[in-house]
Amino acid sequence: MPKVLIYLLIVLTLIVSCKSGGQDKNANAEIPDSVLNKGIEISEEVMQDIVQNISSPVEMAAMIKDLGVPFSNRYISTTDRVGNLTTSYQQALNLGIYAADLGYLNMYNKTTAVIDYLTAIKSLSDDIKVGQFFDFTTLKRLATNSKNLDSLMYISVHSFNEMDKYLHSNNRTNLSTLMVTGVWIEGLFLGTQVYKVTPNKQLAERIGEQKLTLDQLVLILGNYKQDRQYAKLFDELLLLKNTFQPVVIRYEQGEPEMVEENGMLTIVQHEKSIVDVTPEQLTKIIDTAEQVRNRLISL
Amino acid sequence: MKKLILIVAAFVFAIPSLMHAQDVSQLTAQCAANAGDVMYLKDFVVKLDQGTPGGAPPTARFALLLSKSVVYRFSICTAPNSEGEAVLQLFDMNTMLGSTYVSATGKEFPSFDFKCQKTGVYHVFISFKEGKAGEGVGIMSYVKKL
Repeated sequence: MPKVLIYLLIVLTLIVSCKSGGQDKNANAEIPDSVLNKGIEISEEVMQDIVQNISSPVEMAAMIKDLGVPFSNRYISTTDRVGNLTTSYQQALNLGIYAADLGYLNMYNKTTAVIDYLTAIKSLSDDIKVGQFFDFTTLKRLATNSKNLDSLMYISVHSFNEMDKYLHSNNRTNLSTLMVTGVWIEGLFLGTQVYKVTPNKQLAERIGEQKLTLDQLVLILGNYKQDRQYAKLFDELLLLKNTFQPVVIRYEQGEPEMVEENGMLTIVQHEKSIVDVTPEQLTKIIDTAEQVRNRLISL
Repeated sequence: MKKLILIVAAFVFAIPSLMHAQDVSQLTAQCAANAGDVMYLKDFVVKLDQGTPGGAPPTARFALLLSKSVVYRFSICTAPNSEGEAVLQLFDMNTMLGSTYVSATGKEFPSFDFKCQKTGVYHVFISFKEGKAGEGVGIMSYVKKL
């Protein structure tokens, strides 16, 4: 074989392997067929729509920081159990949990601890074949300097979004659902643990309104519950759903207002959502969220 | 020789696709940076064909959950090679809340802030002016807690 042909083959192989992030539709990362193919009651498109609109891994952390609550590593999961996560179910769920923790650490500029979480996320994302979206080298370099916080935050969140998009476009919404569930449960745990120490009306409302997201997650996970592992997660979320049941979310009507100031356009919404949640209801939610989250990370 | 031609052809076709992915990634990073001193949350990448004459302009739709008491920023950037200019609109059910192009005044904005008072599912629509073809990216960022 001529040398030029060998070189071309090498280059082509490299290109195809780099590009596989967006194109490989066959990777299934050992997901059971029972999960991928059977019993889907709502369409893939509808599920994607629902999963995509669930809030990002940093929103709860951003709110908590804005409330002036100090950092605590009691609110995050430790990374020493990554080696024990052997199934794609465990890996995807915990990838979401660590992504939420990474958002919290980034928010408080805890760059030393960030490296551990980046390593954990890199390992889990490689396991479920989405590691190509996680630029570990750049992230690690950025994490060594606290002045790079904006870039670190951008690349972390963007990498997570890209993994999520890739899973959707490759009909692996089941794994995306697990990641998003992991993000959500860790965010809820963070919010509820902070509330225990620093009760706050806005935070109480934010916790109460998680009822909306939880309803959506239960709806999606219900499609996969024929699989034993997903069924367990579904049951855990049902427990939480029961505690959220008495929370009432009501609405006050109002017209949006457009304000232009110094060339910047702002839309002020006057329609409001109001969350009615009692201290007793919150206590139940906090306790159940803690139990569920701790069970999930002890799998 | 045939094999060589096939391999060269595959090589030539793979490169533009790779470059395109890189362009989109750069445009997204640039657009996020242009959004200002805010925190990036999500991006909405679109590539739309030209619309048919007299028909509605092709539009991409994205669902998202917004939280009460948060100020979000929605920004739009058009790829340099696009025929049309991208417009981002935010909808709550059938009500348009905001747009980067205000048709009543003809004013264009690279972004707008949304002071959210109702937690719920909203939709971002991205289209190109006059239904032209184009590529662009919308960015949603967290500005602050209200």
